[in-house]
Parts: sequence; C-alpha cells; structure tokens
Amino acid sequence: MSAYILPVIFISLFCYSKYKKINTYQTFVKGAKKAIPLAIDILPYIATIMIAVALLRVSGITILLAKFFSPLFTLLGIPSDLIELVLLRPFTGSGSFALLNDVLLKYGADSYISRCACVILGCSETIFYVTAVYTSQTKVKRLLYAIPVALISAVVGSVVACLICKVI
Amino acid sequence: MVVLSISFLIFSNPSIMLSTMIDASSSALKLAIELCAVYVVWLGILELVEESGLSQKLAKLLHPLIKWLFKIDDEETEKMIALNMSANMLGLGNAATPMGISAMKRLDDGSGVASHAIIMLIVLNATSIQLLPSTIIGLRASAGSVSPADIILPTLISTICTCVVGVTLVKIFGRLRQKLNTRQKYKQEKSGGKR
Repeated sequence: MSAYILPVIFISLFCYSKYKKINTYQTFVKGAKKAIPLAIDILPYIATIMIAVALLRVSGITILLAKFFSPLFTLLGIPSDLIELVLLRPFTGSGSFALLNDVLLKYGADSYISRCACVILGCSETIFYVTAVYTSQTKVKRLLYAIPVALISAVVGSVVACLICKVI
Repeated sequence: MVVLSISFLIFSNPSIMLSTMIDASSSALKLAIELCAVYVVWLGILELVEESGLSQKLAKLLHPLIKWLFKIDDEETEKMIALNMSANMLGLGNAATPMGISAMKRLDDGSGVASHAIIMLIVLNATSIQLLPSTIIGLRASAGSVSPADIILPTLISTICTCVVGVTLVKIFGRLRQKLNTRQKYKQEKSGGKR
C-alpha cells in the first residue's frame, strides 16, 4: 500500500506541472544542480561527527557510559541491553541501525527487547547529525536550549516506547 | 570528547586510532555521495513543486500550524518549512534536509544566536513524527519476525509523544526567554532614565 504513495504523488506532480505549462525537464535539472554544492558543503560536518563517534566506540567509552548510566535507565524502565543503542542513536543513523540488527539477531525479532529497540529507533532521530547539518549553512553559533530539549524529548520517547511495548 | 576517546585508546589499542578516523571519514564521504544522489532527485522534484505553485498551496494549508509554531511572517520561509514538515512526516528524512537547510538560511539573522524559529525547526526535525518506519520493518522482516509491521502503532504513539514534548518545551523556553528579554530591556531603560 505505502509503496504506491510516492509513485502516485510523482505522477500527479508531473501531470500538474504539465498542466501548468512548465518545462519539466529543465526545471528538474535546475533543481538537481543544487544538490552537488549542498552535498559538498555538508560533507565536513558529517565527517567530523562520524570520526568522533567512531573514536568513541572503539575506545570503549560507550560501554563505560552504558555501565555508568544503567541504574538510571533501569529506573526509567529501559532494558539495560538497549543502553548503548539509546546513547548512540542521537549521533549516528547507520551505527544505530547496525546495533539494532545485532539486537534483533541476538534476542530474536519478536522478543520484548527487540520490539523496544525497534520502537525506540522509530520514534527518535539522529539529533546531533540533524543539528550539525541544518546549521551548517548559517552563522548560528549558540543554539541555547535546542539540543537539551531534543534530547529530553528523545528520552521521554524511549521511556514511552518501552512502556507501550509492555502493554501491546 | 575526541580527546577523551583518544587518550583512552592510548592505553587500550593505540595502533587503530588513525585507521579508525580514516575509516569513519571515508564512510562519511560515501554517505555524502549517496546523499548527493538523493538530493539530486529531491531537489529536482522540489523545483517542480516550487514552479508549479504547489508549495504555495501547501504552505497555505499548513499556515495556521506554522504560524503558531514558528511565529514568522515570511511567505518564502513558510513554504520551505511546509515542505520540510511534509517530507518528514512521509518518512523522507533525507528529502526534508535540503528544504530544511534553505528554511534555516532564511531564518538566520546573522547574530550568531539561534532564534525561537531556528530552535523550533531543529527540534521539530530532531523529533520528527514518522508515519511509517519502513527501514526498521524491513530489518525485522529479514531477522525472521512473524509480524514485522506490528511495531507501527507503538512507534506512532511514541513518536507523537516525543514531538509533543519537544514542541511544548521549546514553547515554554521561548516564553521564558521572551520574559527575560523584556525584563532586561526594562532594566536598561530604568538605568538609562536614572542617568
């Protein structure tokens, strides 16, 4: 069902553009041209974040952090096996998907822990990555409360996720 | 953070530091190229949406919501935000990025401090509502789940929670900030009057 949504949107868009007498080919090319400078501009930002995350993981700091935070997480009702996932999720999309796959294979796709992991990933975003990319083209240096608010919401989301998975 | 990681590595495994960093940056390069391909498609589509006047219609549709969330009054920016939000809801995070960035550019006042609207846009994107977590469902299916799609409802509930909490907090902080600002102005005027 959902597979049809995009094709239908695209077809209607192309038809609508034709109806509006727009040169679809040239307009598309004009927009597509902007992609290359954009990708080049954001590359340094993603690279820096990914380097920092890679160092964090190989150094074993994430495991230490997981141990450190485990009492807090049990208090919040998040299974201790998912701490690394919750901690890494704000930084890396591909990394957290790799972790999710490990969890799925280790505990079985239909276990409580796996379902929790799936919902946590589904309701959260790569906060630091998003912030870095979005601000990369602006002069904004001080983000004030943007990141704390996003992180708090993510934690609330994770707690809700684990609760719901128990009920449903 | 990086210094801490490296100093940890000196004790555990110093030889892998450089290779880790280079590995990470090469996967970043790979990601950037993939993103470039994604952006080519989406920016092309976006240009069509723009030229055909559809984005204006979408912006009009979302106008009350955007006005309430961002407190802005600029048609062009509203259009970009409307597109960014719609793409996010469809689960097209990567397609939302270019529109989000151009909205960001327009919101930037050059003062270096994030305004209410900028913070709102960041938080909205960082807690975006996902209607269909397709990648996760795919992963579950390949891991042998009996009903891989049964996480849709719980995900929807928690993603709405995250988003509501985020928006509420930004609103509260924004209010506090406004109060602080007016109080500061009041103080300045007072001290100015004394002189």
